[in-house]
Amino acid sequence: MKTIIIILSFFTITTATSQAAYEKGMGKAFELWGNQKNDEAANLFERIGKAEKENWLPYYYAAQIHIVKTFNTKDAEEIESRLVKAQNYLNEAKTFSKDNAEIMIMEAMLNTAYVVYDGAKYGMTHSGKVEELYQKAKTLEPENPRAILYHADWQMGAAKFWGKDPKAFCPEIEKAILYFEKESPTTPFYPDWGKDQVARIQQNCK
Amino acid sequence: MKSLLTTILFFTTVFIQAQITISGVVTEPSGVPIPGANIYLEGTYDGASSTDDGTFSFTTSETGEQTLVVSFLSFDTYLLTASVTEMKNLKIALKEDVNSLGSVILNAGTFSAGDNSKTSVLTPLDIVTTAGAAGDYIGAFQTLPGTSTVAEDGRLFVRGGDANEANVYIDGLRVFQPFSATANNIPTRGRFSPFLFKGTNFSTGGYSAEYGDALSSVLLLNTIDEPEQEKTDLSFISVGLGVGNTQKWKKNSLSINAFYLNLKPYQELISQRVDWIKPFESFSGEAVYRHQFNNGLFKLYGGLNYTDFELIQEDINVAEGINFGLKNRNLYLNASYKGDLGNDWTLTTGASFANDHNDIKIIETNVDNDDNAAHLKVKLRKRFSNRFKLSFGAEQFIGDFKEEATDNSFGSFQSGFNNNSTAAFSEASIFFNKKLAMQVGIRATHNVLLDFTKVSPRASLAYKIASTSQISLAYGDFYQAPQQEVLKYNNSLDPEKSSHYILNYLYQNNGRTLRAEGYYKSYDRLVKFDTERPEFGSAYNSNGDGYAAGLDLYWRDNKSIKNFEYWASYSYLDTKRNYRNYPERATPNFAAKHNLSLVGKYWAQDWKSLISATYNFASGRPYNDPNTNTFLGKKTRTFNSLNMSWAYLISQQKILFVSVSNVLGFDNVFNYQYANTPNVNGNFARRAIRPTADRFFIVGFFWTISDNKKDNQLDNL
Repeated sequence: MKTIIIILSFFTITTATSQAAYEKGMGKAFELWGNQKNDEAANLFERIGKAEKENWLPYYYAAQIHIVKTFNTKDAEEIESRLVKAQNYLNEAKTFSKDNAEIMIMEAMLNTAYVVYDGAKYGMTHSGKVEELYQKAKTLEPENPRAILYHADWQMGAAKFWGKDPKAFCPEIEKAILYFEKESPTTPFYPDWGKDQVARIQQNCK
Repeated sequence: MKSLLTTILFFTTVFIQAQITISGVVTEPSGVPIPGANIYLEGTYDGASSTDDGTFSFTTSETGEQTLVVSFLSFDTYLLTASVTEMKNLKIALKEDVNSLGSVILNAGTFSAGDNSKTSVLTPLDIVTTAGAAGDYIGAFQTLPGTSTVAEDGRLFVRGGDANEANVYIDGLRVFQPFSATANNIPTRGRFSPFLFKGTNFSTGGYSAEYGDALSSVLLLNTIDEPEQEKTDLSFISVGLGVGNTQKWKKNSLSINAFYLNLKPYQELISQRVDWIKPFESFSGEAVYRHQFNNGLFKLYGGLNYTDFELIQEDINVAEGINFGLKNRNLYLNASYKGDLGNDWTLTTGASFANDHNDIKIIETNVDNDDNAAHLKVKLRKRFSNRFKLSFGAEQFIGDFKEEATDNSFGSFQSGFNNNSTAAFSEASIFFNKKLAMQVGIRATHNVLLDFTKVSPRASLAYKIASTSQISLAYGDFYQAPQQEVLKYNNSLDPEKSSHYILNYLYQNNGRTLRAEGYYKSYDRLVKFDTERPEFGSAYNSNGDGYAAGLDLYWRDNKSIKNFEYWASYSYLDTKRNYRNYPERATPNFAAKHNLSLVGKYWAQDWKSLISATYNFASGRPYNDPNTNTFLGKKTRTFNSLNMSWAYLISQQKILFVSVSNVLGFDNVFNYQYANTPNVNGNFARRAIRPTADRFFIVGFFWTISDNKKDNQLDNL
């Protein structure tokens, strides 16, 4: 009996320590990211992803870092390398979590990055993909504020390009704000970003 | 007490473990330090990023044999499996990822277009918005260097080769009749609708050992793997109607496309040089079905095309003209599978089948022919590393041609042949580093009908001389069996042979591309006969030969002027050949010495319009004047054509399209036909071969219906 207790307590302790290591690692990665140490943060997310297995979140954030980085990079070789890397991370994430709206939103952003970087080359092939991913994400999670906000952002961009009024999508932003308020993630490190972009996107509504 | 002790002991063993420090430096092969590389023990949290001087250091409590992973953007991931105690002061030189954007590319002879590859010279939009192409998939390629403007034919004439020297493949499988049936001097079009395809490779020489039976060129089309969305496309054009639909469900998708073309209303409005009895009418239907397996993709393409027309062809020797009528039915099926076999092995396999039936009437003669052809292919590819890949495969061609000609004067005459051949090929591509790469291949073909076996080597080499430029070389031997028109009367000939020598320079920098390619091509064993056309009873031999040499230039600039893209192609061609019924080596009628294309596209944001213009120039083409002593010694006047198109986007899904070819109405002459006998003054009279009309107008309305309201048919124009 005692031995059983000992073994049991041993297991609890080791799982507890691995959980602690995960939380510590993720915390450290977010800290690095917050301090603009993007590549170090992405590296750490990759390490956590590799060590954890079965967990999509580290890969998801590693991908996000690379995608966001391309928006203020000019070097074509770097952009393409980062986007390929980000796609690989998302592919990993998808194997651990199928039909995940958050991953679809991230993949939509990845495809948007291609269009932003070279519209003539990627506009035709990737625009449809962006639209499809946002729609799928919204079907899975109708109240996901990121899906609603970034889809509206994308549609406003298209409307401006076509000389239409982007204001048509302003009610969507209001909806997104509402769902941001309601959002209460239960899993630690679950995505909850995006609220700080509301003001930028709302510029179109003035 | 005892148990307490055990517990404590347990804790100590769990928490107090020896910490080992792992350290080293990460560099490029040249020794330059790499900062920011990710170094870690696989499956653990233990790791670090390299610092600015490339060094790293971290501690671990792991013991024994572990795998150290070092990864960084644009470099191959490095793995080291060893005891952790040995992982000290490591010197790790990462190898460059040869697939990254800055790497050398094996591109001698090849243009890729419409895909997102590094070498792409035309974007997907270009293929279809190029003025003058009029929605013909082939049209845009005729603005690339290495092609000759042969406006009365419409097919691809590459580097001094005639149109039969270029073969077309869909998903790696041969297309036997890629062009619509037509009459002499009336340009043909590709049979395929552009929107079913993604990337294209157009090779003007020195192509892979995977492809054979073409002396000059291969055009490789790939169907779309996965359509983006469900949609319906409607097209209303001044010369026809089209409808397309795409459906997706689970792991399947189906795209269908149908087009009806009738030139009658158009020809009643705009006068033609041709006397049509029954104007050109055609119906074509295409479908692509795709199924995604866990480790592979199956695609089935089917196309059915029916064409019918009748006309009086002007002829200098026949005052009342020649009555020519044609009914063509073409069925083409293509099934392919590409899948992963694991362990970096890839299998590509498939089969294509074509049935082509012609019912031709020439004055009082009726010709009925039926051509069945099939291609079976299997290819395996092994990726040993990013740097070394090997592919090999085998293919079988089966051909069965039958023809029956009936005429009151000679009754009925039958001809036909079975043309079967087997080929095997193997090719290795080797990247020595990011700067130097080569590909070597070999192909062996055995043809049963002509009873020959030929082995042809292929090789190419590329070297990056600076971050924005590279040079490459290619060499290859190519064999092609004689054409159907000859094989139906004679099957004791040799295959025709060509050898290509290519030197290519490529400069790519921030939206600007310069490509210069010089080549020499020799021809040997070309088919000769002693009549004007191949006939039953003509004397045939394989003693023809020739050469082609030239320089192709391509310049493209997307960046210098906002919203304006342009490219310029220039080809210099020096070629002579002795083939068919030529008495001596001469430059054939289809080969102009200078060819120039200028293509410009302007996106007018305020007008929501894409305005496109193409100017084509070709120097005079040789023609034969029997009033002189020199064979093919005269030259026509130069060819000029300015084509314009305007696509107006009414809304995101509705497009209005107007296109006019030869806006300025240049009076072009392609060739002259001379009388067989001299007139009373002892001169041979002639007639000019000119376009069927100086200008061609298209007005169209394209409407796409889809859920997301984003897509449009700009890619179909």
